[in-house]
Amino acid sequence: MFELAEYLLRGALLGVTYGLLAFPVSLLFVTTGSVDVALGAYAVLSVAVMYMVGGSTGVALAIGASVLASAVVGVISMRLNRPGAVDHVIAVLGTFGLATFLESFILTLFGTSPMIRHSFATFWNVGGIRISPQMGINISVCIVILVVLFLVLQRTPFGRAMRASAVNPVGAALNGIPVRLIWFSTYLLGGLLAGVAGVLILFTTGADYSSAFTLTIWGFGAAIIFGMRSPLRGFAGGLVIGIVQALSSGYLPGAWATAMPLVFIFAILSMGRMNQIAATGGRV
Amino acid sequence: MQSSLLKRLMPALTILTIAAAITPFILSSPFWLDNSVVVAIFSLLALSVGMAYGQAGILSIAPAAFGSIGAFATSIVTTRYGLSPFVGLVLALLLPMLLAYPMARAITRLSPLPLSIATLLLSLVLEHAIREGGSFTGGYVGLSGIPPLWFAESIQAMHVLSWCVVALVLVLYVNLTNSAIGRAVRTAQHDPLRATADGVNVPALLALYFALSASVAGLAGWLYAHHLTYMGPDSLTMHVSIKVLLMAVIGGASTFLGPILGAAFLTLLTLYLPAAETQGMIFGAVLILVLLVAPNGVLGTNWKKWFASRARAKPALDRATTARGGAA
Repeated sequence: MFELAEYLLRGALLGVTYGLLAFPVSLLFVTTGSVDVALGAYAVLSVAVMYMVGGSTGVALAIGASVLASAVVGVISMRLNRPGAVDHVIAVLGTFGLATFLESFILTLFGTSPMIRHSFATFWNVGGIRISPQMGINISVCIVILVVLFLVLQRTPFGRAMRASAVNPVGAALNGIPVRLIWFSTYLLGGLLAGVAGVLILFTTGADYSSAFTLTIWGFGAAIIFGMRSPLRGFAGGLVIGIVQALSSGYLPGAWATAMPLVFIFAILSMGRMNQIAATGGRV
Repeated sequence: MQSSLLKRLMPALTILTIAAAITPFILSSPFWLDNSVVVAIFSLLALSVGMAYGQAGILSIAPAAFGSIGAFATSIVTTRYGLSPFVGLVLALLLPMLLAYPMARAITRLSPLPLSIATLLLSLVLEHAIREGGSFTGGYVGLSGIPPLWFAESIQAMHVLSWCVVALVLVLYVNLTNSAIGRAVRTAQHDPLRATADGVNVPALLALYFALSASVAGLAGWLYAHHLTYMGPDSLTMHVSIKVLLMAVIGGASTFLGPILGAAFLTLLTLYLPAAETQGMIFGAVLILVLLVAPNGVLGTNWKKWFASRARAKPALDRATTARGGAA
């Protein structure tokens, strides 16, 4: 029982960073109806830059690099799609291209070694379970981002414009909302959040050049579990993915521990969550 | 009637003519013959992407995974049980199909985007499964000593066989595309509602087409295993799938010869590229460039129209620039 409780707690704490990656997946899907496969690559880029530079300069450069990469994807996606004439699959292919580029770029520049840092030597004792204070930082950062994001989406003109662009891009454009700019901003916001997630991942589980697609999958899985309409649900989904991962690591042998969360996401996909919430009536 | 038949056979005849034309020049070079076989195998994988993405609109990120199923199936039955490669061929054709169909039925429901993510998941899960397969799949070490095909033991014979297989697949693919099923698939891709109104069971049809494309990938895997005589967990990974996807998109996924052109171009390009680590940057950049310049690929773009539209756009741009300069 104690063992199970430990896995649940560790999984939930691990899932916090996945919840952070789920935010941009939900936001982008709701706003543009597309998925940015390069999200994990932004996070790994952020991990690599932070690992090399370190300190507060490293945080700024890591998040800046991630935002810059997302800006490139934003520009490409804007060229490939426009409101009223959208091919989501082409847009996904474009993000795939950049993800492949970034993975190779990180491999060339930073090599194959895993990148991880431990900033705390002492641990908290929560009911007999040793927890790194880094988990406290992760949770605090995620809650702050969640609150800010909620306020931006619900209480600001930008948030209203973003929601209007999501519900009816053509109607929003006719009402003077710069839909393409809103879409581009969503990509940038995605890069920003993935950059923050990358910094946290460096101090939590670490990553290597090949983690990009896996991180995208965790973020995507977290976003679809409870529906993609709300970042808050994405956060809860992140916790679930983290728990599934921790339970798999605890009770399953070898690579099956990694495969089981993927199977879990597949099962969620099979339930048709994405189709139900697609703004286009299921024709994603 | 005759012209229609000729038109249908044209892609396969083109491939056979090109293969026959280059054969005398490479016949004495094992290096180029080997590369020719590799191009043929990747052509089959790229054709599988062409079928799924180009015709049905399903972006499959698992052609190498389906190929891997075919390759491991034949590797296991020939090395573990001493069965004929033809038993392996049947399994290589059937197993990817049997996996792809229910998967597509479970996911499609008119949504290609979730299915593409599902194929990505399949690739990752399969890689783990192969590593955890122990002595059955060879685990981390892989399976070696896969027998070459007894009727194509020499590299020259393998070269001929592989291109004949490509031509055969092309004939079947062209016929399928021009059949009632092919027309229904195209209608379902462009307007699922219209296809449903026409009495087409869209999810079942798309799933069937996706399963057929997986079967073509399985065939490529069969050739791959018997050509290289080794299969490991790193042989046909997700990265190979991405490369294959790139081949199909560059050449023109919706055309018959485009995927083969893309496979030949990228395979030959890889020979002259620097270190393997940097290849992803070049592939990624090429993919983005192709999507921006010609999203339908080299053979899928009407270049005459493309250049004409550029020529029309240039004077308009010049006029706008002049007007802005005058105003300043």
